Amino acid sequence: MNLISNICSSLCSSLEGDAKNRETPRAIDESIRLPLLALIKSAAIWMLIATVFGLIASIKLHTPSFLNDCPVLTYGKVEPIFWNTLILGWLFNSGLACAVFLLGRLGGRPLGQGIFLTIAVSLWNTAVVAGVIGIMMGGQLPFKWLEFPPYIAPILFVAFLAIGVWCAMAFRDRANRSTYASQWWILAAIFSFAWIYSAAQIMLVCAPAQGAFQALVNSWYVENVFGLLIAPLTFATIYYLIPKTLGEAVVGYRYSGVAFWTWIFFASFAGVAKMAHGPIPAWVVSLGVIGSFGLLLPTTTLSIQFLSSLLSRFSKIWDTVSARYLLVGCVVFTIVMLFKIFGSLRGSLDVVQFSIFDSGVTQLALFGFAGLVFTGGAYFILPRLLNKQLPSTTLIDLQFWAQVMGLVLISIGLISGGIHQGELMNGSTTDMLVVVNTMRASFFLTSMGLSFLLVGAVAYNVTFFWMILSGRTEEETSTALIEESPELEYTAS
Amino acid sequence: MNRGPFIFLGMFAILAVSWTVVLYKPTQQTGRLAAVYDEAQGGVLPRGTNGAAEQGKALYQELGCIACHTQQVRVASGFDLERGWGSRQSVARDYIDQTPALVGNTRLGPDLTNVGLRRPDADWHLAHFYNPQIASKGSNMPAFPYLFETREIVGEPSARALKLPGTFAPKDGFEVVPTRKAEALAAYMTSLKVDYDLAEAPKSKDAMAEELAVALESAK
Repeated sequence: MNLISNICSSLCSSLEGDAKNRETPRAIDESIRLPLLALIKSAAIWMLIATVFGLIASIKLHTPSFLNDCPVLTYGKVEPIFWNTLILGWLFNSGLACAVFLLGRLGGRPLGQGIFLTIAVSLWNTAVVAGVIGIMMGGQLPFKWLEFPPYIAPILFVAFLAIGVWCAMAFRDRANRSTYASQWWILAAIFSFAWIYSAAQIMLVCAPAQGAFQALVNSWYVENVFGLLIAPLTFATIYYLIPKTLGEAVVGYRYSGVAFWTWIFFASFAGVAKMAHGPIPAWVVSLGVIGSFGLLLPTTTLSIQFLSSLLSRFSKIWDTVSARYLLVGCVVFTIVMLFKIFGSLRGSLDVVQFSIFDSGVTQLALFGFAGLVFTGGAYFILPRLLNKQLPSTTLIDLQFWAQVMGLVLISIGLISGGIHQGELMNGSTTDMLVVVNTMRASFFLTSMGLSFLLVGAVAYNVTFFWMILSGRTEEETSTALIEESPELEYTAS
Repeated sequence: MNRGPFIFLGMFAILAVSWTVVLYKPTQQTGRLAAVYDEAQGGVLPRGTNGAAEQGKALYQELGCIACHTQQVRVASGFDLERGWGSRQSVARDYIDQTPALVGNTRLGPDLTNVGLRRPDADWHLAHFYNPQIASKGSNMPAFPYLFETREIVGEPSARALKLPGTFAPKDGFEVVPTRKAEALAAYMTSLKVDYDLAEAPKSKDAMAEELAVALESAK
């Protein structure tokens, strides 16, 4: 009974003494509390599911007999389930949670139709669950990150359109007419995903491109999911959280526009570089290499903006949970982009093509860059949304360090392991059995890394549900817990 | 940049350019290839597949074999030819009959473009699916015991029963018989062979360089 009333008070809080200056933000939070909690809850659960599947897949690589009698858990099914739950489950939900919060706060006005968004998000999540079951039942398509059976795609697309329309409306109805970089990135992410997802589905399922060109469409889609959906949502969160947590505007903010447009332009070409030497026209691959290399420009700009903002207030970073996550996320961003850019040159592909290097860089980008920044975002949002303190700093420390540790192990395992694998596989005629056996240590390290990430995911879930289920303390009900930071976004632009 | 429509239009333009140049243009330019007829090489190329192999292909897709196996041979880099994975570069025309095409992008196991040439024996594949350790000790490929039926021998043993060595054999009085699925998958494996030449497919790095030199010469 007590728990139920606690959940109710989490969903609709009535506070007694609310400070005057918190009225607008409080009204905004009130208007989007339900969809935000739904998103963060789904994100937390998907994070757990994705990590578990990633761990199973990784263990199977060094101990193939693990869970092998079960046809639904064969490696070829677990692996796509891992990527899809990671991207469409965890990162999509947590990224959208940050985006919705940002649209509300930056727009400066309470948003309507929260129920509509909640329904759209539930439809999305139901479709992802159905897709996972579809893969288990054997309905998977052989396209990376598009493995869900064909009948799932229309549902996902409709759900996404509903979410997109809601976000566009939220942006249109804003009270502050001038816009901030976060809002551009959110709009870009929403618009691009609708485009790339429909283009990929049409050219792969509805009216398939001829043979080998399906692989081209697929590689275009895969890189764009990172470059035009996940990364933009992450940038949006970083641009907002830096001034809010450090109390200082983003360094070099006036270059944000250049970074934005160059990123979108080059990222939209970058993916096809990985098709090098494949059965498609070579000039397309060259375009991909140019696109990838062009990303150096926005990567440099964004890295300088983020890292110099964070480092100039270094002493403040360890005081705030969110800022800690931001710092690691931004460092990982720079590292990942260097791997991505230099890894897509033909000379590097001669070594690492078809190896687990690519999987390693992608996992580092998704877990380490997007995943950590969105977690930082959630730790910024939750106390404001619920007017409760984060329940246990020990638990959060445990989560943070487990995730950092896990990322280090995964990077060593997959990235350096991938380079080693590529040298043997692409640079010599060593028997594939020998290659696989020299990889065992790398696979083992990756499993250890994913176990650490699993500890992090469990800690995150415990923190989240603890916050939702606990009652408010005296202090939390009677006073304004949160001191709003100044609106530096607008003074900077 | 304070207006939503400006961002939408900009995004639209960029994505339209990317889609047109990267996807639409190549599929229009070289994505409508037809099969070629070559009497000397035995008819229409690429060769068609049979029904059992098509069923096997569906199972290959269902089990996600593509997670570890590519079906593309490169000559410009790597050691694909030296490893015996093929005799020439895979080109777009090789895939025109495949929907979906199982090109793949990760090699935790060998490339399978020509596995039917390397391993023409279906029984080898059946034993390999039942337990990869039989033929490739130390492999990390999963076993697929659920594609087989272990049953008590009643009367005559089945002619299709696997001949399993020593420790892998079932206990006395039992036999391991492949299901139709396993046989289809084996049929697909033995059907995978690119044993024909295409005019546009380079056969080695040197041939590729020569072709390029000729093309450059004619461009002058």
